Amino acid sequence: MLEFKENPNKKGREDNRGVKPASHLVGLRDVVKTYHSSAGIFTALKGVDLQVESGAFVSIIGKSGSGKSTLINIITGIDRPTSGEVVIDGTAVHDLNEEEIAVWRGRSVGVIFQFFQLLPTLTAVENILLAMDYGGYYPRTERPDQAMHLLELVGMADHAHHLPSALSGGQQQCVAIARALANNPVLLTADEPTGNLDSKSTEMVFRLFENLANSGKAILMVTHDNELAERAQRTIRIVDGRIQDEFVNR
Amino acid sequence: MFRARWYKVFNDLFGNKTRTLLIVLSMSVGLFALGIILSARTILSEGLAESFAAITPSSGTVRTIELFDEDFIQSIRSMKDVQEADARRNISARVQTASGEWKNITIFVVADYDDIRVNKVASQSGPWPPPEREVLIERAALSVIEAQVGDVVLVKFPNDVERKIRIAGTAYDPAQLPAQIDGTPYGYITFDTLNWFGESYGFNELHVLATHPEDKAWAQQVVNRVKDKAEKSGYTIPLSMTAEPGQLPMNDVLQGILLLMGMLGILSLFLSIFLVVNTVSALLTQQQRQIGVMKAVGGSTLQILGMYLVMVLAYGVLALLIAIPFGVVGARGLSNALAGFFNFDIYSMDLPPQTFLIQIAIGLVLPVLASLVPFLSSLRISAAEAMSSYSIGRGRFGKNWIDQLLSGANIWFMRNLSIRSILLSVRNTFRNKGRLTLTLITLTLGSATFISVFNVRDSLSHTVDDMIKWFNCDIMLTFDRTYLADKVEFSALTVPGVTQTDVWIQLPTRLIRSDDSESGMIYMFAPTVHPESLIVSPTIAEGRWLMPDDDNAVVVPSAFLQDEPELHLGGDIVLKLDGKEHTFKIVGTYVGMAILPLVYTNYEYITQITNRIGEADALMVKMERHDPAYVDAATRALEDHFEQIGVRVSMVSTINNERTEAEASFDAIVALLLVMAILLALVGGLGLMGTMSINVLERTREIGVLRAIGAPNRGVASVFILEGIVIGLMSWAMGAVLAIPISQGLNQALGQAVMGVPLSYSYSIQGLWTWLVVVILLSVLASFIPARNASRLTVREVLAYE
Ligand SMILES: Nc1ncnc2c1ncn2[C@@H]1O[C@H](COP(=O)(O)OP(=O)(O)O)[C@@H](O)[C@H]1O
Ligand SMILES: [Mg+2]
Repeated sequence: MLEFKENPNKKGREDNRGVKPASHLVGLRDVVKTYHSSAGIFTALKGVDLQVESGAFVSIIGKSGSGKSTLINIITGIDRPTSGEVVIDGTAVHDLNEEEIAVWRGRSVGVIFQFFQLLPTLTAVENILLAMDYGGYYPRTERPDQAMHLLELVGMADHAHHLPSALSGGQQQCVAIARALANNPVLLTADEPTGNLDSKSTEMVFRLFENLANSGKAILMVTHDNELAERAQRTIRIVDGRIQDEFVNR
Repeated sequence: MFRARWYKVFNDLFGNKTRTLLIVLSMSVGLFALGIILSARTILSEGLAESFAAITPSSGTVRTIELFDEDFIQSIRSMKDVQEADARRNISARVQTASGEWKNITIFVVADYDDIRVNKVASQSGPWPPPEREVLIERAALSVIEAQVGDVVLVKFPNDVERKIRIAGTAYDPAQLPAQIDGTPYGYITFDTLNWFGESYGFNELHVLATHPEDKAWAQQVVNRVKDKAEKSGYTIPLSMTAEPGQLPMNDVLQGILLLMGMLGILSLFLSIFLVVNTVSALLTQQQRQIGVMKAVGGSTLQILGMYLVMVLAYGVLALLIAIPFGVVGARGLSNALAGFFNFDIYSMDLPPQTFLIQIAIGLVLPVLASLVPFLSSLRISAAEAMSSYSIGRGRFGKNWIDQLLSGANIWFMRNLSIRSILLSVRNTFRNKGRLTLTLITLTLGSATFISVFNVRDSLSHTVDDMIKWFNCDIMLTFDRTYLADKVEFSALTVPGVTQTDVWIQLPTRLIRSDDSESGMIYMFAPTVHPESLIVSPTIAEGRWLMPDDDNAVVVPSAFLQDEPELHLGGDIVLKLDGKEHTFKIVGTYVGMAILPLVYTNYEYITQITNRIGEADALMVKMERHDPAYVDAATRALEDHFEQIGVRVSMVSTINNERTEAEASFDAIVALLLVMAILLALVGGLGLMGTMSINVLERTREIGVLRAIGAPNRGVASVFILEGIVIGLMSWAMGAVLAIPISQGLNQALGQAVMGVPLSYSYSIQGLWTWLVVVILLSVLASFIPARNASRLTVREVLAYE
């Protein structure tokens, strides 16, 4: 069973600024994203409104090029909206500068990539510890234990001291998920986390997400796979930069 | 396809400005270093040769005790093998500096300043020729006598005439050792001015140019013939020397520096090649996937290749546009500084075209070749493979023992410390071992040279200490001729503070070989030898030092035995003294230093065989106290005292002064070496910067990951800066070891050039720590710019859209 040790003084959440009445964990209002490239101007998001409650497991589907990644990148602060508001856990992300976003993201959002993106010269546990060092959520002395605890959580404790190159894709993604949890974030985002995995690994990774969702983590996941998407509590379909429709699966 | 292709080239080049900047910068760094060194080396060696040719350098110099006149010069000029000859008066005078201290100065008197035929002196500033009752000072010597043009200085001639004389201007005399190096300033006056000092007309120094000056053996023969002729004409010759053909006095040291620069040049050539190859291959690795994509959409191999070559050439052109102009400015600056130090003029700042050609070849041709290799291997990858190769980095980390050691699993304390980012840096350092090796080579050479320069400085002062140790006295006085030893010793003892005196005699001598040929001038140095003698033994290499009851025993420099194969320890040596041959026995050799070879023998014996019993021409004085102020006061008192009793002192040196002078002249050389070391360190630092830039390029994706997991700017930058420091520290440790042989080599070369023997070796701990601080600063600086660029990358740039 999944359990997270709560840090009593909740260091790291206190210096959030632009605090607004946080009715929702994720609140997007009329978000527009326009790209200016050599090929011309392209509007990838055309006024998106979205609310996600804490603890919700939301999947995002849509055709390639519909704006899924753009949406998720705007939520994690990796990309900035051209206009509109992005408020996550009471923080107005669109108001922060690049440096503040990086620090905020390290503490509040766990980002999971399609291609795992573990640092190749650090072992599994060191990858997690590095994220803990940056986020600083757990006290220094507790970090090694917490990191091992997270690896147990994702079933990778045996591989704690292996370099990523010694792990399979599925195993790397599990470690990456553990790393995303390094600072006990309120929100996990994953852009096609199983896009590069075989079906067995896909099942293993998706189970992890379900377990995390059951234990109360909010999760936003982009996927191509409609069957997987339906296993989330709620599915959002994006068409041409707009939220076309939403389903509640359960 | 065509238009899209060129569009992509353009986009690759300028679409990512940070990357373009990093690539161009790291390529131009190497090309710049190469340009500055190749050009400066050529400018300097040409300038040196031209300067030297312009003064019509003599093949040799012959000095006489008695003065000679124009007729004698004419008779020398008419000699068959003499191409040209000229003469001067050379006077060892004393000059009082602004601080009241007396220094030696050599005054030259030339008959016609507008018709100097050999070893030409030229006007530098002020009137020409020197006005009556005024003096011109050699341009490099003003600082030595602490004076400026227009100042009036007090000059004292050996005949005790003192005159206040105005410095009217400066002269340029590259045939002399630069004054700041040997500590002797030079002044130039006319015969009218000489007359004002109470000296009569006449010359005592002949400069001879042989018919084939480039042939040293021939030049030596001609100089010997001139010397013989002078001797036959009744002149006493205390000194005759042959110059190295076509060389300025400091040529050996300058050649050493040019050699060092040549090494630097090869090093920077190597560096620039490696930077260019590294950059291009890093770039292509990054582009591998795109190459795959292009193949997939049907780009032909040739089309893709051509496209990349154009891109690589464009980088090369940009790098050359930066490197060439900066290289030119740098080379001119460096040449000027060095020429100033060695006191010669550079007539032409024309740059050698081959420098540009080499730079262009390396900047354009090499990148093309360099890109072929990784390119061809990347072409073998199928489109599908290339596109799926998503693993981050190219780290071959994890394969060998270094990696095993560095993997934290077996280092227990690493689990409890929050040093993951340090670990990351340390391990990243070893990821590309080829690049690391090349970076380390350049930086280690810089480190080693820097530490070596400190070692050489330490060795120099040790050597001075060793040299000074031979003299157990405070003051040495040399007289204009021999006087009764008892008289000078007793009267010296009447001066307050004098505790002990000793006399010696010094004579010019020549070695007579078994085939009757003669060696060049050798100084015979005959001190009184007894247990409390004020001159103690030099460091004996083999055999023993002189004993009080020795008669014909001599101690010779050990190098002497190598130069003269007939001589050996315990064997005989025939020396010619006052025109008569005497046989001596070699009882020992010493590790000594002397610009002229110096042989030691017993005072008593020499005075007997030369009919000088009871006479001496030099006096050593030991004082009650040894501090400079006290000794200087006593020196003045001694000089006054001897003047009263009619003993003429021609030269005074105090041990304190000898030491400061020796150290001052070494300091100048050390400063110069330090400049070279700093240059080398800079090249190493620039190499490190290039490497770090490439690392940043290659790891942009990882930088994105760091950002995504919450690394602040500081965190990203510190990963790279730490890596730079790790490399710096490694080069420091390796440089510390490499400095041992390098300093030995430098000691050997410098010692030989300046003093005729290697310096006493010493390793400078201070240099080691100084360099540690410098190398850390250098590493931080070198990785700072790439690291800052890294921290500026936003996650989206590197991750979100690939
Ligand atoms: N940096 C960018 N510059 C220009 N166009 C972009 C950029 N990023 C995304 N786009 C465009 O925005 C659209 C949405 O992209 P994305 O969000 O990645 O789609 P999805 O993830 O749904 O496949 C695409 O048509 C893409 O071409
Ligand atoms: Mg996408």
